[in-house]
Order: sequence, then structure tokens, then C-alpha cells
Amino acid sequence: MGIEFRNVTKTFGGACVVDDLSLEVRDGEFIVLLGPSGCGKTTTLRMLAGLETATSGDILINGERINDVPTQHRDLAMVFQSYALYPHMTIAENIGYPLRVRKLAKADRAARVQRVAAMLEIESLLERKPRQLSGGERQRVALARAIVREPRAYLMDEPLSNLDARLRVQMRGELKRLQHQLGMTTIYVTHDQAEAMTLASRVAVMKKGRLQQFDTPLNIYNHPANRFVAEFVGSPSMNFIEGEGVTKGIRPEHIQVLTAPEDGAIEARVYVTELMGNETFVFLSVGENRLIARAPADFRADVDTTVWLRLATDKIHRFDPATGKILPQRRNDATEATK
Amino acid sequence: MLSTQKAQKPQKRFYVPFGSSVRLVILLLALLFALAPVYWMLTISFKTEGEHFASPPSWFVFTPTLEHYYDAFVTRSFGQYLLTSAIVAVASTACALVIGTLAAYALARFDLPLKLNRRLSLWILSTRMFPAIVTAVPLFLMMRDVQLLNTRAALIIVYTAFNLPFVVWMMRGFFADLPRDLEEAALVDGDSRLGALVRVVLPLVAPGLAATAVFCLIVSWNEFLFALVLTQTDAAMTLPVGIAGRVTQYEIKWGVMSAAASVAIVPILVFALALQKYLVRGLSMGAVKG
Repeated sequence: MGIEFRNVTKTFGGACVVDDLSLEVRDGEFIVLLGPSGCGKTTTLRMLAGLETATSGDILINGERINDVPTQHRDLAMVFQSYALYPHMTIAENIGYPLRVRKLAKADRAARVQRVAAMLEIESLLERKPRQLSGGERQRVALARAIVREPRAYLMDEPLSNLDARLRVQMRGELKRLQHQLGMTTIYVTHDQAEAMTLASRVAVMKKGRLQQFDTPLNIYNHPANRFVAEFVGSPSMNFIEGEGVTKGIRPEHIQVLTAPEDGAIEARVYVTELMGNETFVFLSVGENRLIARAPADFRADVDTTVWLRLATDKIHRFDPATGKILPQRRNDATEATK
Repeated sequence: MLSTQKAQKPQKRFYVPFGSSVRLVILLLALLFALAPVYWMLTISFKTEGEHFASPPSWFVFTPTLEHYYDAFVTRSFGQYLLTSAIVAVASTACALVIGTLAAYALARFDLPLKLNRRLSLWILSTRMFPAIVTAVPLFLMMRDVQLLNTRAALIIVYTAFNLPFVVWMMRGFFADLPRDLEEAALVDGDSRLGALVRVVLPLVAPGLAATAVFCLIVSWNEFLFALVLTQTDAAMTLPVGIAGRVTQYEIKWGVMSAAASVAIVPILVFALALQKYLVRGLSMGAVKG
């Protein structure tokens, strides 16, 4: 189902939370709204769900303007950050609720609840109450309630943020598989760039209510539209070096750390190293600047030893220091970069 | 050494020797204070008229009789009063709960313009800020004009109006404590506002609703002033007015009054006991975030 935001603005009191947002989601896409807290991503999702009204602009589903359609008639499913399971109902009743509201026959309802429960492997929980479930199980129930009817689109508001790290990675995989299986248009809100990168077919990066960039994860990572996007996406974060009239950025994996001098390499001092298991983060000082580089796991260097850096020149991004906007790339920046 | 051990133990704020027995005595005293008048009333209802005025009073030993109960409910029309009281109390509680709950939900959940949420709530509360008797005469005149004097309907209307602010304020608090996510989930799931209220919200505030209902019922059941002003006939009179009517210029029917009053306690007692589980939860709802 195609979803479109046309110049949508939302203000609360005097504060502009979403500022002139235009976004087009194609049928079957998995769109991630990414940004720090307070960037307006959740408000955007809630406007689509009808839980907030847009101050101006149009929201369209399949070309039909839905600004004035009440939530219950928009035929969307939503997974809340808190899961919002109905505490007084059993799991089966929770999952069956959207069907009950639609006056589906009891037998039909039970069959569909059973099918969805099987898909998410929560059949054994159907008679329990939400409070008897673990976080991961609740998450599955919330998902089940969303997919039990076939809505026009799924909306997910940081659905994994209440899970521990291991479970989050596992559920992330399952979400991706599920979306692939069902082929449903999904709009997913998160502040976790790893979720955005792994799940999305396209990522919309937002900051202070404004859309910064809307592109595939790979393009967002490799061709950030501005300094904010470059900094927000990627872990560890991109290195920035302030130059004259230009800010240069390079990702940690594009800095090679050498233990012996080489032609064109830049001298640097090791500030500290962090062994991550499969790789080592090397924190470096080059003059006034601090850089992070990714080195292989077997890289060893003592604090304060001198090392040499080779920068992948074609991977250097140039930003306008005033606006943060990306500038056209230039060649042979390697030595210039650290000046 | 000693001090470190002491520090590790959870400290009691007050240390009272024989603490539990002291507590027991205090409890017993409080019980005695609360129940003595009830006991006295009960014994009077079972004593013969002669024993009512015995000196010293016969506290515990007397010949029980049911004559006052017979007098009250068979000879006189206390059965009728009891029925009226029940109808009026139940009907007005039901009306107040339905209207008040809807109003409270609206105030708790919808953002009205001009800060009306707060203002309306205060206006509603302000209707309870004057003594009830202030409205007695105007209400009498209004009821006379619409020819509702000496009817149960008059009492139901007045009690509903009187209970409404209480219901609105109690329920507003309960609704406000409920996470909005649940209703929003219900809306997204395709339910209407009213459907979400009935299927999701109300079951979750049931303890609060029960506590509110008990209070309304007690207030309506015991109400005296408006019942006295608005009803004069046996057909419309409630129990409190009926009982008070036995205090006359010539005699005071202690036995009949006590018998009727003893019976009047029963319904509320039964109702409160039946809802006890909810009552405790309802009264402490919102006090502790669970």
C-alpha cells in the first residue's frame, strides 16, 4: 500500500515537532524512521495512525487523503513500544481483539489466532495473561496482534527497545524474515541505527522535525547528505576533521593503521586501544584531532606509541562547516585531510 | 563491630515493647468506639419498651423480642420505605456512574480548548463547595413546578446530581492513571472510542468503579435532607425520613426506629462486603504505581 506524506507539519503549542515532511512509501517497502529522541519520528508515525492530527499538509494512503479518517477506520496495525497488551485479557483474547472488533465469527477467530500463534511460536502461551510473560514473549504477542488481520500497513514504534541486547538481535532477524514473508508495507521508528541499517529497504533520517535524507541504508552510509546523517549512522561514528572552509569526514574502517612509516602516511599517536573480539578500535591523536580507526583483532599497540595512518582518499567526505551539507568530493585529499 | 552490624539491619523507626499487643489494644478501642452505638441500637431493637429505660441499663442480659420489627415492617409501612430507599439508591447510583464515568473519561482523555479540562473539573467540584441545604428550597420549588414532589424520580434526579461531582473526580483520577497506549492500541485495532472504553478501559478501572459505586450508594441510602424536603407521602418516603418520623411530639418510638435502622444497615453491609476485594484495590489505585 502506498503511503505519502505531503508537506506535513505538526506543532505542539508553539513548538514545531514535524516540519514540512514529504515522504513517499512504496507498496511492500520496509521504511525506517531514524533519528535521536525528539526528532519527530514517533509523532510522524502517530499522525499516520491517526493518534495525532497533522497541523497542516496531507497524509495519503493509496492516493486517498486520510487526515480526517478516524484511527479505527484507517486499517493499520501498530506495535507500541510498551506493547500495550490488554492486561485483563488472555493472550488469545489479546491477539483476537482486532478480529472480535470486526465481528468475525468465533471459530474463524480462533483459527486465525492459532495460525498466527504458530507462526510466532507462542501457541503454548495462549491461555496466559500478559503479566505472566517475559519481555520477549510480550513482544511476540504484540506482533501477533498486529499481523492477525491483514492491515494495509504495519506501524512499529521502537518495538525492540525494551528487550535485552541478545533478544533484540534475534527479534530483529525474525522481524525481517516476517516482513519478507508477508511482504507488507512497514513503517518502523527507531533511534538505533543498527536496526535501521539491517531492517530497512529505505531509511528516513530525521532531526528536529526535518527530514535529513531518505535513501537506502547503503547510500545513507556511503553517501550521507550532511554531517548529521554521517555522524548518526555508523558505529563507531565517522571521524571529523575541521579544515579551512571545509569539514572532512572519514569512517573508522577507511583509516588503516600502520606500525612502520610509509610513503604518504600520516604520523599519529595511540591514545588507547579497545579490543572488541573480532576487531580493535584504535583511538588516535593527530595533532589537535582525535580519530578512531578500525584495525584487525590482532592489532597491538601500546598507549602513546607512534603509528602511521593511511586514509582511503576516495572515502573522504567533505562538508560545509556552516550548513553541514555535503560538498562535492575531491581527489588526493589524504595529506590535506589532517592539516 | 556492633555499630556496623546495627547499620546492616533494616532499621525500625519506632520500637515499641510488646508492639503487637499495643496495636491490638488500640484496634480494639477503635472498634469499640465505632461499634458501641451500633450494638446499642441493635439491643434496643430487641428489647421490650420497658427495658429501654431500665436503670442501670441492661447491657447484655435482656429478654429478646421481635415486636418492634413486627411493628415496623408489618403494622407500619417501613417495608415500603425500605423498597423506596433501595430503588432510589440503586437508580441514582447507576445514573451517576454512567453519566459521571463518561464525563470523567472525556475530561481525562480529550484535550479541550481554553484549558477547559481543568476549568470544567473545578466547576464540577465547586458544586459541592456549599452546604447542601442551600439548594433545598430552590430544588423544592423546581420539583413542585415540574410536579415531581413526592415521587421517587425527584430523589433519583437530585441524588444523581449530588453524586456526579464525586463520581467525575474519582473516575477522572483512575482514568488518568491508565496508560493511553492501551486505548490507542484498541483504536488502531479497529475499535471505536466507546468500544475501547467498554472493552479495554472499564474492565481495568473496575476496582475504582466499584469503590465509587459503594460510596454513591452509601450517600444515597443515608441521605436525609432532600428526602425530607421533597417527599411527604408514605409512597415516596425513604427509610431515613421514615425513621425520623417516629420522633413525634408525643412519643419517641425507640424500638421501631432501632429495628428499622438495624435492617437499613444490612444491604450496604452486604454490598460492601461483596465488593471488599475491589474496594481496597480501588481506594489504593494510583497510590502505588504497579
